Amino acid sequence: MDPQLTEYLTQQRWYAGRNRELTDAEPALVVALRDDIDLVLLDVSYDDGPGERYQLVLRRGDNDGDAVFDAMGDPEVANLLLSLITESATIGPVSFAAEPGAELPVGETARVMGAEQSNTSVVFDEAAILKVFRRVMPGVNPDIELTRVLSRAGSPHVAPLLGTMSLDGGPETALGMLARFADNAAEGWDMAVASTRDLYAEGDLYANEVGGDFAGESERLGHAVAAVHATLAAELGTATALFPVETMLERLAAVTASVPQVREYAAAIEGRYRALEGQPITVQRIHGDLHLGQVLRTPETWLLIDFEGEPGQSLDQRRAPDSPLRDVAGMLRSYQYAAFQRLTEGGGNEQRRKQLAARAREWADRNRAAFCTGYAEGGGTDPDAELLAAYELDKAVYEAGYEARHRPHWLDLPLGAIANIVSG
Amino acid sequence: MDASNGGVEHPSAADFEHARVLPEDRTWFKRAVFYEVLVRAFYDSDADGSGDLRGLTERLDYLKWLGVDCIWLPPFYDSPLRDGGYDIRDFYKVLPEFGTVEDFVALLDAAHRRGIRVITDLVMNHTSDTHAWFQESRRDPTGPYGDYYVWSDTSEKYQDARVIFVDTEESNWTFDAVRKQFYWHRFFSHQPDLNYDNPAVQEAMIDVLRFWLDLGIDGFRLDAVPYLFEREGTNCENLPETHAFLKRCRKVIDDEFPGRVLLAEANQWPADVVEYFGDPETGGDECHMAFHFPLMPRIFMAVRRESRFPISEILAQTPAIPDLAQWGIFLRNHDELTLEMVTDDERDYMYSEYAKDPRMKANVGIRRRLAPLLENDRNQTELFTALLLSLPGSPVLYYGDEIGMGDIIWLGDRDGVRTPMQWTADRNAGFSTANPGRLYVPPSQDPVYGYQAVNVEAQRDTTNSLLNWTRTMLAVRRRHDAFAVGSFRELGGSNPSALTYVRELDGDTVLCVNNLSRFPQPIELNLQHWNGYTPVELTGRVEFPRIGELPYLLTLPGHGFYWFSLRAPVGEEP
Repeated sequence: MDPQLTEYLTQQRWYAGRNRELTDAEPALVVALRDDIDLVLLDVSYDDGPGERYQLVLRRGDNDGDAVFDAMGDPEVANLLLSLITESATIGPVSFAAEPGAELPVGETARVMGAEQSNTSVVFDEAAILKVFRRVMPGVNPDIELTRVLSRAGSPHVAPLLGTMSLDGGPETALGMLARFADNAAEGWDMAVASTRDLYAEGDLYANEVGGDFAGESERLGHAVAAVHATLAAELGTATALFPVETMLERLAAVTASVPQVREYAAAIEGRYRALEGQPITVQRIHGDLHLGQVLRTPETWLLIDFEGEPGQSLDQRRAPDSPLRDVAGMLRSYQYAAFQRLTEGGGNEQRRKQLAARAREWADRNRAAFCTGYAEGGGTDPDAELLAAYELDKAVYEAGYEARHRPHWLDLPLGAIANIVSG
Repeated sequence: MDASNGGVEHPSAADFEHARVLPEDRTWFKRAVFYEVLVRAFYDSDADGSGDLRGLTERLDYLKWLGVDCIWLPPFYDSPLRDGGYDIRDFYKVLPEFGTVEDFVALLDAAHRRGIRVITDLVMNHTSDTHAWFQESRRDPTGPYGDYYVWSDTSEKYQDARVIFVDTEESNWTFDAVRKQFYWHRFFSHQPDLNYDNPAVQEAMIDVLRFWLDLGIDGFRLDAVPYLFEREGTNCENLPETHAFLKRCRKVIDDEFPGRVLLAEANQWPADVVEYFGDPETGGDECHMAFHFPLMPRIFMAVRRESRFPISEILAQTPAIPDLAQWGIFLRNHDELTLEMVTDDERDYMYSEYAKDPRMKANVGIRRRLAPLLENDRNQTELFTALLLSLPGSPVLYYGDEIGMGDIIWLGDRDGVRTPMQWTADRNAGFSTANPGRLYVPPSQDPVYGYQAVNVEAQRDTTNSLLNWTRTMLAVRRRHDAFAVGSFRELGGSNPSALTYVRELDGDTVLCVNNLSRFPQPIELNLQHWNGYTPVELTGRVEFPRIGELPYLLTLPGHGFYWFSLRAPVGEEP
């Protein structure tokens, strides 16, 4: 393996082995897409357990001996992938496929958006977005699966699927997806933060009085999430399961072990979970990792994006039916983050901080309530309060574990939420 | 009219001098800046305390200097003035306080000499109950005017038509004690609806059009057009018969007075209003223009919410219009915003937002002027005006807003925004030499908005005044037809507080970037289409860094905006 390429690999944001010792990186598959462009699947192994498989698209220079480089940022490569999808071409074991009836942008300017945790995205003239998965796993990709189901059902709350790239032979393995690009859209998170910025600037006005009030948007967002849940339920079915008390207790135990600040709440949290033990709940396919950063406001409506589920889990886990309240809880937690994110930056005198904290609580309460109103109107179900609280607790416990590890100064945020719920 | 038939006599255009006409131009209205001015409020030439047509004529040089292309006059016809002149008593006569038909012809002539056009309101739907037609109609049911209005023995017909003025009217029917029948009225009970099912009424109203067009007027704003006909089982709005009659009116214009315009006042959804432009195949065969009502409250909401989506959403819902048509857009006019029209659909954005925001409801729902609505914030006033001048449509300015006049809320919401134009810091704001007690309403003496502080004379002499700023922006707009008739495309971007769009016409590309937030914002734009182009700011001609392959970064102050012309690289065709 080219040492330069190995070096390159280990510096990428999507590379998962940063804290591990890489022992080997071997190409498992090399497919020539063009004379000078190869699609490469690279098997990475470590000295301490199972490795990963990564996708690269490599381009050779014009002369022999020129460096080989990862060319996902190259518009020519992006356009090549787009035209292969348009033609529904098959090259070796790699299948490109356009969705039936999809209108694809051909010959448009490509612009690389940048690398996400698990993929690299290219936008074609604000018309389509190609996500090339960097970490490749066998199994059905939930993002493609759910985007396709929602697109075919005509849901207005999803950017329609236009095409896919996948590996033939063996278990189904997704390499990339092409979807319509929501141009003129803004992330829910950015909009919520614009609203809280306005709130903080006033200080002495209530959340329902400031100009940047977000409650109307939150209500419409609740509508959209409910509509997506309803479509997924209608298309893929629902089932009845028991409240997952064991799974939640496992997470609680793991986080309590590593985050001492959670200990004082552990008994109360467990009590809340146990109270729901044996309660039947309705499960169905859900988004799985829903928060304000996964929703887009377009001029017409709200869209949900990135149906890939929680990145840390296996594909099978992510595809397992779950309570839609997990998505609702994810959104509710996200409102608290949006409300308090500026306060976690510190600064200001105590009195001012107290006042702002009160405003932030009002904002979060107002928008959470508006979201739930919209969700209830949109789906016809008013979430069961106790059940929803349990899912919120589960999410907050997860956040506590995450913040303690990565952003200790944010830890107070999930701890505050836990305290609030268990005392309520 | 045939006077021998016991009828009502009307003059003929031939009885009067005619104003000179401007060269025929069938698209002038698509590039024009309109200015709504109330005759009563602009200038008093005879010291009787009320503005008049001669006074307006004397002040045309000011409007020419400002850069106005067309004046819109609310009704100046003879009227008992129970509805601000929209209750017309005689279509062929000028309200005596305003002057005479001869004065109007003189105004038209003087305006045309300066290249300024003049349009006025014409109320097609109804007349005053003091109109001679109605008096004849109630007196003699079998006479020539017996069927001029909609009469009925019962008040049970057309129950699906809503009552528009719910505050004052209980029903669309009122009993007339003279004729002993009910008459139909969609608005006030003193404004009976004309019966357009009677061919004589159609002819009589087309005669009215011809009279003023013959004298030289450049067009009409047709008031309350959706309601001309009534049909059982419908809501009596936007009926096919109404459209057919408007096509007749348009044909008169096209055949006999090409270049004159019809502007529809239909306070409805854009998707319904486009019907009033007529058949797109012909380029439009009903009204040339129509007001875009929902845009204005959306602009206010977008700036309050610091989010572009209230505007983006309504523009996305606005259908394409025929080639020869144009929207009229405005921030303020003499009327209140009738919110019930904008919020018809319960699922609509504005419905929920207004319900949640009592302050918006209070402010936009009542008659306020622009400056006090924006708390006299110069930055916001400039941002709002820049939006008005750059969004698709012909802008309509309201007199006095160019100097930031205030309102007098104690006068009641009808007159509060109709106070005298503030010309100077002298007595009566330089509007009139009458005894102050004789003025129809006093000029504003507010310490902030009053005529001592806010007047044309002072602002003309100050380079950075709102007046001179407005004049500059009108001049910049005139240099680029793209603002008026160019294509419109939003560029989006990740910052929800940024509203960015491109207006393009024959290779002339104008980029407009607006910060709807009160805080400074960075804005990243994808300008790949114009890779290699240089943005040139339009007011100062300052060249900004060339556009490259990477996202283009701009920073804007709170409520800031930029207008750029995108200049093609040298040696390449745009």
